[in-house]
Amino acid sequence: MEENSICIPGERLGSSEQYQPGKGTYVRHGFVFASIAGSIKKESDKSGNLPLIHVQSIHTKQHIPQIGGIVICKMTQLTSAFAKCKIISVQGSNHTAAFRGIIRKEDVRATNRDKVEIYKSFRPGDIVVARVLSLGDALCYLLSTAENELGVVVALSENGTAMIPLAHDQMQCPITLLKQFRKVARPQSKHISFPENSKSALTNESTV
Amino acid sequence: FELISDEGYRFDGRKPSELRRVRCNMGVFTQADGSAYIEQGNTKVLAAIYGPHEASNNMRSRVCLDKCFINCEFSQAMFSSAERKKRSRGDRKGKDMSAHIKQTFEAAVRTQLYPRSQIDIYLQVLHSDGSLYCACVNAATLALIDAGIAMKDYVCACSASLTKETSLIDINHVEELAGCAEFSAAIMPKLDQIIYSELNGRIHQDELGQLVDAVTNGCKDIFAVIDRFEVITDNTEIAVSPRSLHS
Repeated sequence: MEENSICIPGERLGSSEQYQPGKGTYVRHGFVFASIAGSIKKESDKSGNLPLIHVQSIHTKQHIPQIGGIVICKMTQLTSAFAKCKIISVQGSNHTAAFRGIIRKEDVRATNRDKVEIYKSFRPGDIVVARVLSLGDALCYLLSTAENELGVVVALSENGTAMIPLAHDQMQCPITLLKQFRKVARPQSKHISFPENSKSALTNESTV
Repeated sequence: FELISDEGYRFDGRKPSELRRVRCNMGVFTQADGSAYIEQGNTKVLAAIYGPHEASNNMRSRVCLDKCFINCEFSQAMFSSAERKKRSRGDRKGKDMSAHIKQTFEAAVRTQLYPRSQIDIYLQVLHSDGSLYCACVNAATLALIDAGIAMKDYVCACSASLTKETSLIDINHVEELAGCAEFSAAIMPKLDQIIYSELNGRIHQDELGQLVDAVTNGCKDIFAVIDRFEVITDNTEIAVSPRSLHS
């Protein structure tokens, strides 16, 4: 099959001795078949394995949370033992019908696990980046924020402005200067963008 | 009265092994994750797919830990048949139909890829003129493809009836009323598997083979039509979903 050509469910893409089956494909009777409609992509493997063949869907697909994957969720309910949240995005796709997640007290941070207090880590309405630990019980996914890069990314203060992270456990409102405790996700430079004028202001300051 | 004239034509002018005109359209709703509209002659069906998403509250007991479950709701518009219907859903026939369509797609969708989730298939019949099950399955297939849900293969369905040792495929309402046996089947055309079959009425066992062959050929014809539709729309613009072919 040609790369980038269109395939439809049930179409035979090649032998399983020729390709490794990737996303959107399945193996049956020693052949790789497409299971969704989309364009065929091939990736050669440098370590000598068979080239990977997968099908890229034409449409934006709904993803479901996978173990080990990163999800974005919104806090809904706090108790002293755990925090409940709605998973609002998985791998960049927006969910119309949210999956529910739970962050237990022990999974909030990696150090000083026994000193964690949920009320000092999250508040209802916070947007949190978390990792899926397990599929949990039938009701909700088990999530964890026990990594530096995971935790609260957006939190609003009492007057409704987004707060600025001060430390790994503290955020401050830029207007009221009120400080609140959060399990803050470490800001990652690749995700930070400076507006043009603020950049020039920064350089001016440094020259003065 | 006779279903086939002496010249070998049916009431609506078709030959015994001829399908009715099929028209289809994908992505008819923006709200749903996948949707499709299909017309087989005068039978008109809308399908909408929601999911895979977390099980809704009243379905929690049906959640499977290793695969998704399919929830199918079939409803018939009150104005869809010659006699005005009293209720659009929840009657016995509708429940049977939902169960049959659910079974059909449980065999075709790769449910183990979506553990603990739910896929909703909503079907609405706008105009009922025979072969309802078949039109619903074909519409749902297109909608599932539109939603990007992984399937082993297309599912194509077709019905057939037997009169005077001739098999009529894709039967319409008049032919259904004539009281001959009606055989419907859904197949996966490229894998050559029958995943659903149903026989209403009685036939001689020697005639079953002929009927199965007729239905299989009908399904493959349907597949050819739908496949051509897919290819046309995919070649035009891959990033845009095929919303305008029909108009």
